[in-house]
Amino acid sequence: MAEDTFLSDDLLRQLMSVGEVDLLVGITSHSSAQAIRQAMQVIEQSFQQNFVRQRVVIVNIDGGGPKDEAEVSAGNSDGQPEGNPHVPILTSLRTVHHVTARFSGTPSQGTALRTVLAASDLLQARACAIVSPTTSNLTPQWIANLLRPAYRDNFDFVAPLYTRHKYQGLLARILLYPMSRAVFGKRIRELFADEWGFSGRLGTHCLNQNVWHEAAIHSRPEAWMAVSAISSDYRCCQAFLGPKPQPPTGSGPDIVEAIRQTVGTFFWCLETRAGSWLEREGSEPVPTFGPEHELTSEPVELNLQRMFELFCSGVKELEPILSTVLERETHAEIMDIVAVDAKTFRFGADLWVRTLYDFASSYHHQVMNRDHLVQALVPLYRGKIYSFLQEHANSSPEEMEEANERLCLEFERQKLYLRERWTKRVEVKV
Amino acid sequence: MRDTIVQGLEQAYNNLVHMIAEFLPRFVVMLIIILLGLLVAFVLRYLLRGLLGLTKLDRVSEDAGASRVLRMADLPSMTELLSRSFFWLTWIGFILIGISVLGVAGLQEQISRLFRFLPEVVIAILILFLGLVAANFLSRAALLAAVNAGLPSPRLVSWSVRFILWMLTISMALEEIGVARQTVIAAFSIVFGASMLGLALAFGLGGQELARRSLERHFGDARKEEDKEPHPL
Repeated sequence: MAEDTFLSDDLLRQLMSVGEVDLLVGITSHSSAQAIRQAMQVIEQSFQQNFVRQRVVIVNIDGGGPKDEAEVSAGNSDGQPEGNPHVPILTSLRTVHHVTARFSGTPSQGTALRTVLAASDLLQARACAIVSPTTSNLTPQWIANLLRPAYRDNFDFVAPLYTRHKYQGLLARILLYPMSRAVFGKRIRELFADEWGFSGRLGTHCLNQNVWHEAAIHSRPEAWMAVSAISSDYRCCQAFLGPKPQPPTGSGPDIVEAIRQTVGTFFWCLETRAGSWLEREGSEPVPTFGPEHELTSEPVELNLQRMFELFCSGVKELEPILSTVLERETHAEIMDIVAVDAKTFRFGADLWVRTLYDFASSYHHQVMNRDHLVQALVPLYRGKIYSFLQEHANSSPEEMEEANERLCLEFERQKLYLRERWTKRVEVKV
Repeated sequence: MRDTIVQGLEQAYNNLVHMIAEFLPRFVVMLIIILLGLLVAFVLRYLLRGLLGLTKLDRVSEDAGASRVLRMADLPSMTELLSRSFFWLTWIGFILIGISVLGVAGLQEQISRLFRFLPEVVIAILILFLGLVAANFLSRAALLAAVNAGLPSPRLVSWSVRFILWMLTISMALEEIGVARQTVIAAFSIVFGASMLGLALAFGLGGQELARRSLERHFGDARKEEDKEPHPL
């Protein structure tokens, strides 16, 4: 293990009583006892249906919420699950072990993942999956789809794929996926997800990295794990899970917080893994189990006008900050499109790519506080989303996918620009 | 009579020679100390400039907005300013030590008072610098938060934060060097209290709708229709 003192005595005692396992599923989110119990039942069903002969364990990271173990536990004292009306036959030949790691406060996602990785390392698990109880439509098949590629096909990182509404997950589709694909050279669509799988090898590799004190790891460690797998030449794949249960609008995470967490972590990954991507050209697909992508297009009401207003006011108010972050030409072009009428407004792919590459380079050169820099991207993201949705108001999912592919290619085409700006020596203007 | 005059002149001459004989070595020592101080100050300035260059202080200063203020005041970069200040402080210290060697009555007390005052000046400058950095950082954070939340007049919010912190910093620095201590504290209390009361009244009376929307956005069960944006993740 990386650190003997990291795991508590109680957790170590539980893990030692389990012995070695083949499969491990970690629950890292901090939800109600009801949600955790349901997630545990689903995981157990998956084990019963798909991994009858394997030695398995469920590791629950308990942040000390309003629940007790008896309330959370899905199984009886023998470790066997209680009856479930949805599962007619339980056929496991092995005991399903439950391990609970308790923290006095709510642990960060990074601490929770680190605990799962340490448990996996100690139990010599061959394949692991992380799931979130907040995912309301988690099914046994999801768990199987995440574990199987790592367990049977020797893949090291299993990214999920979902069926999404065409307006859902736009941050991933117009920023994170195209940029990560161009930079790291692997076509993994969902770097930031609540569920993913990995091999014990990759888990141990990540556990031994000296990054666990980093703020970027605390909030969204999954992207760092994916980037670690890509840049260290581990075998990556994607597995289709099903529909992502989020409404396409509203009640999701705050857009500013989402960008701070995801884009901030992604830029940090660029910074720490620069050696592995600077010279890389083009991109290559990764093996995918199931459909590559699925978009749905039920009608949804959006307040686009409000987004455009926030874009315009944001660009004007943040002009001094944007002039520091962006190249002069890029900034001038953005100031030009702010003056355009809302109906004819377009945030072109070329300008969007240069904007993001300028932001990434400025993050690298630390032209200002990095968290502030990432926050300054929010109005521009709103502008791009507005333009994208205007452009594709009547587009079919296939047409949107084609547009997304063109955007990805634009990111790849302009990678030289990023490389030049990244390696350019920046003199402080004094 | 003539002998008395000659004797008096001889006495005066002897005294003068004695004084010069006594003063000249001290003067030479003073010059040596001052020259040595100049050399030491040059070396220290060179070393400090290199050290600050390694720590990328100029970048931090640029980020914090301190460089912008320096440029507005037609001052050099932070590294250059600090190394020059350190040069002058060191050399002035040596000059004062040199002068004290002369043993001029009354000067010793003034020099020791000056030495006692110097640390307070340095601390006051440090307070000003840190206050400037904090004011710039927090005002930018406020600007970004206000812009991204779509609040009206984000620059006003940002400038309010900056103004309050500047007031606090300047009052602390003046208090440190003991300039009109009571007046500064009273003035700060009045201005700060008046600003807070003004903001509270403005927000409470003029911005009831804004306050309600802000509270709803942060603590409400669901966002209003007008705030709906596509789900980012």
